[in-house]
Amino acid sequence: MIRFLAKRLTQALVVLLLVSVLVFVLLHLLPGGPARAILGVQATPDAVAHFNHQQGYDRSLPEQYVSYLGRLLTGDLGESYKLNQSVASLLAERLPKTALLAGLALALAAVVAVPLGVLQAVRRGRAADYLLTGVAFLAYATPVFFLGLVLILVFGQQLQLLPAEAPQADTVGGILAQAPALVLPVVTAALGIVAAFSRYLRSAVLDNLAEDYVRTARAKGQSDARIMARHVLRNALIPLATLLGLYLPTLFSGTLVVESMFNYPGMGLLFWNAAQSSDFPVLLGVTLVVGVATVLGSLLADLAYALLDPRIRSVT
Amino acid sequence: MGLRTTRIRGLLGRWAATALLGLPALVGCGPAGNVVTELGTTGGTPVEGGTATMALPPASTPNWIFPIGAPGYLATYNSAIQDLLFLRLFTPGQKGDALTMDSPRNLAEMPRYSDHNTTVSITLKKGYAWSDGTPVTTRDVKFWFDLIKDNKREWAGYSPKLMPDDVKEFETVDDRTFRLRLDRAYNPTWFTANELQDFVALPVHAWNPRGESPRRAFARLMRHAKQFSRFATDPLWKTVDGPWRIEKWTTSGQVSLVPNRAYRGPDKPRLDRVVLKPFTTADSEFNVLRAGGVDYGYLPPAVMAQSRQFKERGYRIDPWEGWAVTYIVLNFHHPTVGALLRQDYLRQALQHLIDQKGISRVIWHGSAAPTRGPVPAGLLDDEPYPYDPGRARALLAGHGWAERDGTLRCVRPGPGTDRCGAGVRGGQELRLSLLSQSGSTETSNTMQAVKSDFAKAGIVLDVRQQPLNTVLGTTVPCERTEPLCAQWQLGFFGTQGSWYFPPDPSGEKIFASHAPSNMGSWSDPETDRLIRATEYSAEPAALRDYGRTVARRLPVLWTPNPAYQVSAIRNDLRGVDQNPTLSLAPQNWYYVKKGGAGR
Repeated sequence: MIRFLAKRLTQALVVLLLVSVLVFVLLHLLPGGPARAILGVQATPDAVAHFNHQQGYDRSLPEQYVSYLGRLLTGDLGESYKLNQSVASLLAERLPKTALLAGLALALAAVVAVPLGVLQAVRRGRAADYLLTGVAFLAYATPVFFLGLVLILVFGQQLQLLPAEAPQADTVGGILAQAPALVLPVVTAALGIVAAFSRYLRSAVLDNLAEDYVRTARAKGQSDARIMARHVLRNALIPLATLLGLYLPTLFSGTLVVESMFNYPGMGLLFWNAAQSSDFPVLLGVTLVVGVATVLGSLLADLAYALLDPRIRSVT
Repeated sequence: MGLRTTRIRGLLGRWAATALLGLPALVGCGPAGNVVTELGTTGGTPVEGGTATMALPPASTPNWIFPIGAPGYLATYNSAIQDLLFLRLFTPGQKGDALTMDSPRNLAEMPRYSDHNTTVSITLKKGYAWSDGTPVTTRDVKFWFDLIKDNKREWAGYSPKLMPDDVKEFETVDDRTFRLRLDRAYNPTWFTANELQDFVALPVHAWNPRGESPRRAFARLMRHAKQFSRFATDPLWKTVDGPWRIEKWTTSGQVSLVPNRAYRGPDKPRLDRVVLKPFTTADSEFNVLRAGGVDYGYLPPAVMAQSRQFKERGYRIDPWEGWAVTYIVLNFHHPTVGALLRQDYLRQALQHLIDQKGISRVIWHGSAAPTRGPVPAGLLDDEPYPYDPGRARALLAGHGWAERDGTLRCVRPGPGTDRCGAGVRGGQELRLSLLSQSGSTETSNTMQAVKSDFAKAGIVLDVRQQPLNTVLGTTVPCERTEPLCAQWQLGFFGTQGSWYFPPDPSGEKIFASHAPSNMGSWSDPETDRLIRATEYSAEPAALRDYGRTVARRLPVLWTPNPAYQVSAIRNDLRGVDQNPTLSLAPQNWYYVKKGGAGR
């Protein structure tokens, strides 16, 4: 297991390094560069040159990259040009917000999707299955921005049951203290995932129900509920664990639309706004975090797979 | 809404004309007074106290408090907040219907010019003090001047030959009076509006108690200014002389201001608190506005048609017109089309093909108005080249352009009154490429309308859209031989206005040869002469002459100028002055009924 872990971590580091090279080069190939975007139309050529010199953009690309990597190793992610904050402090501020939103959305999705998927599988071919399948397809096909808008209009403006805006506190504690304001953004982010997860689980449960071990368990006189809980679900959840790991990076960047609609300044919006203003240090910092999340998600999925399925452990 | 917009623009025009040309103010002689009353922006029985929440522009995070702006931190919302904490000596303000530098909010009396306009004497108003009780003196102004003089490259407001280069000596006369010896004679109107407006008093006793050199003091202050998360708690920023002080400044950009009880000016705040609230996007602001979460917000132009719903919910809709012009930049140094763009007749034909009135009405739903020239409309005649495709076709035909195989080509090359012009090749196609900013439905539709109208005269316009920063980084002044110069022919970055005027809308930064914001490299001796006249002579007509001439010369193509924002303001929130210089004066805001004050 330790060897497996060490191998995967080494692979992860190589992937991260390659991602950083790729992003660095691509950013610097963008036409225009950041100076005019940051300094505005009134900037003199002298001010532009001064900015480029201060930021080291008048040096060669390899030189700039080595310098960036050197700073990175000391934990210095640089300063945002636009936000008057270090990238590290921006990430420390925004990451927990997005992690909270994404985490709650994933948790909600898992809690709702598991019973739904099981119910659909158990009631396969019956009215409940058709109905829930239809609803799942509808939820999956509904764009997040449209869903969010409908929820805001109905619950925020017509019924006035829930705030149309996400919590505005700066700390996780403060955000959780405004729980009602979290409902609409979390539901908006979770609904599509519920649909996807429930469909996956339905298929996985159906596959497992047809397995020999289920027939054996039944022959041994075990109840349907026990078979489902102790045997079928444990096996059916294995692909879901992989899915959860793979969803992790998607959620970090994918909450952009939810953050944008509900005025919730998280990582997705940080990246989007940095891209609009060519704020290179922030772009690189966020890319690094999403890269780490991708690698970590995939690693966690592998580990979860290995833990849940003894056959994988024995192979590795 | 179209009528209201026209009225507002008429008012702006009069402001400009009266303030800048010294004409009598047109107090009470236009419809503006009635409009204001109808909208309920003032009046009512004031209720003391209350909190007003104002929406900041999308993705705007106030992040700079030090009144000397560092490069990249010159955003309007930053300077608007600074001006509420630290008083400027001179600030543009409304007096009757005129825009003038003689604002009651000024920290100084109006300047006195002498020695043939080479010396200016300034006296600070009596009785002003910092929040810790220390009087505001000329030492505080000298402190600011020394900081920018010794650190000018770190100051975003610096342009070579302008402030502080144009001041030879700062001479302190006494605690309240100082004198500036200038490097030459300047037009007093121009100097007061565009140079003295930078002057601000900074509390030297609190910010430089040990008397460090300006360089060391500046470096230390900049370090404090970089500690964004400490803006509300750092003792340095607690010494203010403006009407407000900071209560809270979060790292997400929400700023709460409360009255500075030691403020000695005439406009003491009536509200208990003003909250400036950041929004991630215009959509999120719109959602919160609809739910009643802000008292002073804005609508996207596309939903202007729904403005009645907001009126029914107790908001008044009021476009906030910035003091700006909007245009398409022309690259006169482009290696292949530069010669074309240098032809007067061609630029005139292109301008005749832009239906500014139609675009303003249909695409911008009345929240934009035609740009007539490089100065506010009140100083100009009507559009010199109104929409007229027939006239455009005649101009092109009269200069040797004819359709060949379905394409408009030059059939009479060479210089001459009836020829295509110097540098234009025989058989050259009339095809242009426009690099426009993306992200705005109105801008996209405007560019498609222009493309369609150009096609009516046989001109092919290829429109490319890129994010604003890409457009700004590409459409820069260039020489013909530079590779970047071949990358753009026409450029547009004016979704929120291309150029915001300084209080005196002279052209030294935009249309003078080699000016920093002369993106298309326009160079014309007549334009340069007229700009110099606005800066140096005391001739009142100089600005009008410059405006009218450049409007006709077409260094750029004028396009509809959108409002800075279409504001939605709670009806019971009064005293909101949407100043065209985009400054804020929440000290004048008040609620007129208990419901508003009790928020």
